[in-house]
Amino acid sequence: MIRPFELHRPTTIAEASGLLMTLPESALYRGGTELLQVMKLGLARFAHLIDLKRIPALHGITTDEAGSIRIAAGTVHHEIERSTAVRAAWPALAELERHVANPRVRSIGSIGGNLCFAEPHSDPAALLLAADARLELEGAAGRRTIAVDDFILGPLESDVAPGELLTAIVLPAPAAGMTLAYRRLALAERPTASVACRLTVLHGVVVEVRLAVGAIGVRPVLATVASAALTGVPVTDLEEAIRVASPLVGQACEVVDEPGASAEYRRHLAGVLAGRAVRAATELMA
Amino acid sequence: MSVEEGAGPVVHRVGDAPPAPDPIGISVPRRDGRAKVTGAAQFTVDLHVPGLCHAKMLRSPYGHARIRSIDTSAARGAPGVVTVVSAADLRDVELTYGHAVADHPLIADGRVRFVGEPVVGVVAEDPLSAELALERIEVDYEPLPFVTDPVEALREGSPVIHPGRTERREHRGFEEDLGEEHPNVCSRSEHAWGDVEPAFAQADLIVEGEYRYPSAYAYAMEPYISLARWREGQLTVWSSAQHPFMVREDLARVFRLPLAAVQVSVPYVGGGYGSKSYTKVEPLAAALALRAGRPVRLALSVEESILTTRSVAAVSRVRSAFNADGRILARTADIVMNSGAYAENSPRVANKATKRLAGPYRIPAVRVVSRAVYTNTAPGSSYRGLGGPQAVFAGETQMDEAAERLGIDPTELRRRNLLDKGERPWPGARPLDADIRADVEIVTRELAVGGIVGPGRGRSLAVSASDGGAEPIGSAMLRLLSDGSVALMCGSAEMGQGSSTVLPQIAAAEMGVPLERVQLVQSDTAVVSYDRSTGASRTTTMMGLAIQRAAADAKRQLRTWAGEALEANPDDFVEQRYGLLLDGRTYRWDEIVRLWFDSGSGEVVGVGYVRRDGITQELPLFWEIGCLGVEVSVDEETGEVRVERLVTVGDVGRAIHPLMAEGQDVGGAIMGMGVALREELTYDGQTLINGNLWEYRVPRTTDLPEIRSFLAERADGIGPYGAKGGGEATVNPIAPAIVNAVRRAVGIDLREVPASPERVWRALQARKRDA
Amino acid sequence: MSAETDPRPTIEVDLSINGRSRRLTIEPRETVAEVLRGRLALTGTKVSCDAQVCGTCTVLLDNRPVSACSVLAADAEGQALETIEGLADPESGDLSPLQQAFIDHAAFQCGFCTPGFLMAATALLREEPDPSRERVMEALEGNICRCTGYVPIVDAVLSAARRSAP
Repeated sequence: MIRPFELHRPTTIAEASGLLMTLPESALYRGGTELLQVMKLGLARFAHLIDLKRIPALHGITTDEAGSIRIAAGTVHHEIERSTAVRAAWPALAELERHVANPRVRSIGSIGGNLCFAEPHSDPAALLLAADARLELEGAAGRRTIAVDDFILGPLESDVAPGELLTAIVLPAPAAGMTLAYRRLALAERPTASVACRLTVLHGVVVEVRLAVGAIGVRPVLATVASAALTGVPVTDLEEAIRVASPLVGQACEVVDEPGASAEYRRHLAGVLAGRAVRAATELMA
Repeated sequence: MSVEEGAGPVVHRVGDAPPAPDPIGISVPRRDGRAKVTGAAQFTVDLHVPGLCHAKMLRSPYGHARIRSIDTSAARGAPGVVTVVSAADLRDVELTYGHAVADHPLIADGRVRFVGEPVVGVVAEDPLSAELALERIEVDYEPLPFVTDPVEALREGSPVIHPGRTERREHRGFEEDLGEEHPNVCSRSEHAWGDVEPAFAQADLIVEGEYRYPSAYAYAMEPYISLARWREGQLTVWSSAQHPFMVREDLARVFRLPLAAVQVSVPYVGGGYGSKSYTKVEPLAAALALRAGRPVRLALSVEESILTTRSVAAVSRVRSAFNADGRILARTADIVMNSGAYAENSPRVANKATKRLAGPYRIPAVRVVSRAVYTNTAPGSSYRGLGGPQAVFAGETQMDEAAERLGIDPTELRRRNLLDKGERPWPGARPLDADIRADVEIVTRELAVGGIVGPGRGRSLAVSASDGGAEPIGSAMLRLLSDGSVALMCGSAEMGQGSSTVLPQIAAAEMGVPLERVQLVQSDTAVVSYDRSTGASRTTTMMGLAIQRAAADAKRQLRTWAGEALEANPDDFVEQRYGLLLDGRTYRWDEIVRLWFDSGSGEVVGVGYVRRDGITQELPLFWEIGCLGVEVSVDEETGEVRVERLVTVGDVGRAIHPLMAEGQDVGGAIMGMGVALREELTYDGQTLINGNLWEYRVPRTTDLPEIRSFLAERADGIGPYGAKGGGEATVNPIAPAIVNAVRRAVGIDLREVPASPERVWRALQARKRDA
Repeated sequence: MSAETDPRPTIEVDLSINGRSRRLTIEPRETVAEVLRGRLALTGTKVSCDAQVCGTCTVLLDNRPVSACSVLAADAEGQALETIEGLADPESGDLSPLQQAFIDHAAFQCGFCTPGFLMAATALLREEPDPSRERVMEALEGNICRCTGYVPIVDAVLSAARRSAP
């Protein structure tokens, strides 16, 4: 059961940041879909919870003139799934959001909460890494922007300074010839392996590949060697390149056994899913 | 073929059962329907009594350890705490219970034998106070060597889980002789006839293999829970239990009370599937209430429930001898089953496995031996099919392996060996009361139509026969009241299988009253008369028989009463659907009651008993036939297996309620499919590492195949109107059907389930390497 | 702060439950399930896994399905909370089309998961009045049933959708 705590409901980011700095044993939450579970299990205890739901600046999706999409960190998965802007620019993200956990988690869980909790199997983290999204943070020391790769440090560890809040996720507008695809396999509640692929094809040639592998390691990682094997390849030769690249994908990070899925199998799955993600990305641009 | 039409769903029924009186065979709206769809249905957790307090348990972190000391002093002073209880506080009760082997202390006593065993209980005003107080308890353990694998547990020098003799309770239905067995053997069963050695010597083909079936969690969605209250020396326990009378026996023994001073009352049960058979946390709740001096609710979480009872894993070495025509000459098997730390019902599971492995085939010589072995894991016990899923997986998988080697189509191989209706599956057994051949033809025909034929796709069917019905011990009371309504009283529990609807249906038909005039009171030992159990698919048949006999008893009395009240010869009356006819005038049952009492009131109480005699003399009471076919697809890159189509036949004799009967077949098949494809409880050292729903995955809507299910009704059972039992049929053959279909799809031999994606992938890799 | 000995913090909340406003003094740590079951005797919402996986405790907040076991009651403030007790007509007691369809199709057995399925299906049909079979299965993938094998549940939802079609 959840141990007793005091509840605080700030209405601005500055107020939330201030509370975080001054209250001992305090934590931020929006949906609480991860936080409340660890509190129930007695794995974490907080004397103060700071509810972010009443801060308008932390909710909503906007697009600027350049076409880049800014998703405020407290925006729930369900809203992102249905956003016309996200569907138009990055349909893979909308599709991924549609499959996070279950409908109940998607009703109240936020993308920012998911990223900050940094659960190793997180779907959004892997996809945002491939998409080269930027994360905006704000705290007492001001604002900063950071890449996903630098934000997620390890299992359940994200680069949030004391008193800092993740405020937004920013995705650039897709460049010419650029698509994003995501494939995952979940043998239990959390994904067993996942791969996100951002592909840029110009004049029939793959000019850039960002393959991000999620779920199999302690954090999502870029499979740079596998990506290199796919770069510069004519689309017509892609199947052969996938065959070469697939076994390399699972080597991108340390992998551990899980019940029902050994490390060796998970590495293999990552390779299979990479191939499927790459094919899906090419089909999207057709 | 008749297709029943209703408000929507269509049930496919085949067979030549003659018509039966209303409302038999009609899918009436379920009696518990409105309550369950409005949330008004009461489960044990919804019950409240004045002064109720709440208990939480501190559980062992060790698989095997001596308890050196327990210090509860800090916990006793914690806010909200009423009392703290360990074995030391219960010296005035008989701590140990167990219907098969009395080896199970209701709370750890000096020793713990599995991770999760309850060691100390805190009772408090509210659940949070109880949980917080747990943290103040200090237990000093001396860890001991542990063993979690049953084969390991049989090796010389392995840690002994239960040193010393333990009392054996009478466990009807099988004899056992432990003789020179290893001390970790909890129970041993043997099922044999004929002479196997010469048969093997003559065989044209011998197939041999080792097959593994995992330990699974039944996951009844209502976790274990009991609410205990003492009042003036009498004990009442409300509980989510399938067998209230057997629980009563254990409580009476533990607390040294007369049976009549113990009441076990069971409201709606939120899922049972055998996992709520026999005593679970009732004695613990009662012990906590005794020390607290107040009623106590002990509600377990799902994680705690997984550590309370799980199903029994099995390793089966099977050998079959065939001649070149495909006739089975002999089958032998040696089964090792993981009983966990305490016997629970695993002796019976092991015994049933021996009876269900050989298959519904004509076999001249059989010898199956099964041992339930103690290990330092959570207690293993009943789960749907009771040894059937484990055993049938081994037997039916081997059948297809043999078919391949003989060059005979697997369905044809079965046809050549299937028992005919009327044949005895083994000497002394009730003759087969089912036409399995006809069931096989239905499945074969349906499976051949539609679907996809091609790479990565395969089809297979599998069959099983289980000796069902457990013990014919029970009774029912049928009271016809002065207004003609009927109060029906039965020990059967309602756990979703529909007893609360089917039993009134039978009573209504027997007495000729409209169904809505029958009210059922069930599963309260202080109110209804004895019934041994709700399980083994026996309720429709056994309780149905008891109700029929109770109705007959009521009518006998009414006939006598009519004679007395009307000063006529009782034999002159002619029985009608609802009353007795004499001289052109029908006297309705309720009229006779009022006449006899010479009053506007009164009632007649009919009692029906069932014991092992007459039509219930031969065992089993009925044969529960599993007959189904599947079509699977295999993703060769990931190893994922998907059941695309499923065809089932429920050979139930008579479906009292067709929609519910079909629901049992579908529910059981999907449940078994979960184990066949994904479910296995996994230990790493002494710790269960996937004992939660994040990591233990049960089937979801998106796993559903296209399903065609049939009910075969040939009125060939001894139950009411020819009924037999249902509910545990499809869970037996589904795993081998899937595994055999996978073999046909991608050419791999699997002898272990779950056929998880990784297992399938590895088998595919091995096949590629060998090629 | 010692959780055990200090007085537990409380908060006053205004909840709207099945259309009715309630002001309660609760502890911030209390979940919607605990408040419904423990304080308001609304025991129709059941708890099974207590970890937002099984869907048994599904209730609606502003038409969206949520796990009552894992949402703080304080976080339900300002939203319309609906439970199984609110599905039937409060005056006539008439069952909703979904509830009636569940009875017609025997889309339940033990009934423990049933309130959760009904709330999840209610949310689905409000958002998508005419879903395909695949959509129904996808939308209910997050709800576990152990008894029925799901088939009659899916049939019942489709049947209710057809019956309510304009």
